Amino acid sequence: MLRLIVTRISTAAAAIFGASILAFIFLRVTPGDPARLIVGPLASAKTLEAQRHAMGLDQSLWTQYRDFITSFIHGDWGFSYSAGRSVAGEIGSRLPATLELGLYAFVLAFVAALVAALLVTYRRRKEADNAARLFAFTALGVPPFWAGLLLLLIFSEHLHLLPGPEGRLSLATQPPGKITGFYTIDALLHGQLATFADAVRHLILPVLAFALVPFGYLFRLLRANLLEVSREQYLLVARSKGLTEWTAFRRHALPNACLPALTASGLMLGQLIIGSVLVETVFNWPGVGEYVVTAITRQDYAVVQTFVMLSACAFVLANAAVDVLYGVIDPRVRVSAAA
Amino acid sequence: MEGEGLTSEAIDGPRPGHGRDCVRAVGTVMSSEGLTADVGSQVAVTRERRGRWERSSGLLRLAIEDRLALAGLIVLSVLIVLAVFGPLLWPQDPLAVKLSHTLQPPSFAHPMGTDGVGRDVFARFCAGARTSLIVATMVVLVSGVAGGAIGLVAGLSRGLTGVVLMRAMDAILAFPPLVLAMAVTLGLGAGVTAATIGIAITTVPYFARIIRSDVLRIRGLPLVEATVALGASKSRLIGRHVLPATLPTVLVLGTAAYGDAILTLAGLGFIGLGVQPPAPEWGTMITQGLQYALSGQWWVGVFPGLGVLGAVVGISLIGDRMRDLIDPTGTALGS
Repeated sequence: MLRLIVTRISTAAAAIFGASILAFIFLRVTPGDPARLIVGPLASAKTLEAQRHAMGLDQSLWTQYRDFITSFIHGDWGFSYSAGRSVAGEIGSRLPATLELGLYAFVLAFVAALVAALLVTYRRRKEADNAARLFAFTALGVPPFWAGLLLLLIFSEHLHLLPGPEGRLSLATQPPGKITGFYTIDALLHGQLATFADAVRHLILPVLAFALVPFGYLFRLLRANLLEVSREQYLLVARSKGLTEWTAFRRHALPNACLPALTASGLMLGQLIIGSVLVETVFNWPGVGEYVVTAITRQDYAVVQTFVMLSACAFVLANAAVDVLYGVIDPRVRVSAAA
Repeated sequence: MEGEGLTSEAIDGPRPGHGRDCVRAVGTVMSSEGLTADVGSQVAVTRERRGRWERSSGLLRLAIEDRLALAGLIVLSVLIVLAVFGPLLWPQDPLAVKLSHTLQPPSFAHPMGTDGVGRDVFARFCAGARTSLIVATMVVLVSGVAGGAIGLVAGLSRGLTGVVLMRAMDAILAFPPLVLAMAVTLGLGAGVTAATIGIAITTVPYFARIIRSDVLRIRGLPLVEATVALGASKSRLIGRHVLPATLPTVLVLGTAAYGDAILTLAGLGFIGLGVQPPAPEWGTMITQGLQYALSGQWWVGVFPGLGVLGAVVGISLIGDRMRDLIDPTGTALGS
């Protein structure tokens, strides 16, 4: 077990190290002078030189890389001129919005995928299966921002059921006092039901747009797992000892089919990062992804650089954690990993 | 497993956390050992290999027998026809601004309406199809060849080279795919070439990993020993025995990578890093459509999204059917 943890952590560290080099190469070394971007096209050569010096761009590549990594580790992620404050501060204040959106989307995606996969594999109706598969393919093939556009068109512009792209709350609604940063939970904790209802109404469409991809992925995964497990002999044994079909399925097939879905939680984090970039802008959702997109259009590269590095770290660590956790739950993995 | 410590495949089959379809394909490929099951005699080996060839070449024909796959094939064919013959079928300039005809709803004159500056959306749709399909094709070719070469070298070398190459692949896989493509595109300066390179870089590791694990598996088969014993050169061994054996899995992964590339290109376009306006591209067209959607001009943004959806779903339906054929134990409901 210890060996599994050590190997997994060292490969994760190696991957993050490699990733930092890649990020450094593409965001710092490739053409385009960051100093020129900051001082503007009209600045004199002297100003440019001073800026380059201030940014350390006149140092050797190795020194630059070292500085890049040290300041990143120290949480010194630079100043974001598009937000007018430090990158760390801005990301920190926007994170709850992204997490709230992502959390509800994944809960929805998982529950829906589980129900759909169960219906399809338990009943074994060919037509239902084809329909569900086609829907899963569609969910995976839809660009999330386009799904958001369609949802807005239908539910906001056409049916007037839900609010348009106005962020987390209506203009007239005050945000609840901050406890967790999740408006729905904070509103409930403060007992402000009207605020809660408003937050929910604003969440529905972005959550749906966000949930499509994870739903498609989880449905396919769970369906395949359930089909595979239902061919196992222990299921035959379970049935032959007199369990009803459903009990056998629920007690023996379901847990075993869900286990591999655990590894999908690493993937889900990647989807959270990507989804936040692709969905938030559509709904003017004040999260991290919207910030990054704005930063890109305004050439605020400190933000992009931090975002790229943070995503890699979070993604790698989450996957490592999932792998280790999986080893804890499933002893077979430990054996094959140590081999 | 393959003695390189604990990779994700060792644990769960699909590497958790990357391009949607690629994960799916990698997962299957890893579990499709049955395809090239151990074979005893040289005769059996030859037969097995020929069978594989036939299966690969017949894949498309068999794909047609599945109704969903057939639907995918039709949708994709329509898009290809529009991309290739669009300018002949619909001779309107996708860039021609006509300020007297802005935001016209779909009609006979403009089947998909016109956009905010009066450009014909259908002409732009066709041109966008061309961009997407060309970029995706380039991505699959480039990353397939590069990833194939890396996987081959990594699988065949017993020394440091293989380890270093696969660590480099791990570094690429450390990013959520869109994020790396974003960084590369930003570094190289937004545009269609940069986007193609960025997407190709994120796709290379999938090919490298699959080819490498295939090579490692094949290297252990008796056929390799027999071929070497017969005096075959290394290049003959690779060209005649190792590479052909990886073909089916590579084909399936190729379809997955193709769909991912189209989606990522649209995503980059949406962020503003892909194809630069005024050049028509589906992702940027959706972004432009966003500002008109809430004032009722739905056609500006809806049609390009349909294009992305059709292309991606089309290719994945075909790929899924091909995968079922390669790995019959897989996901069919019938058993």
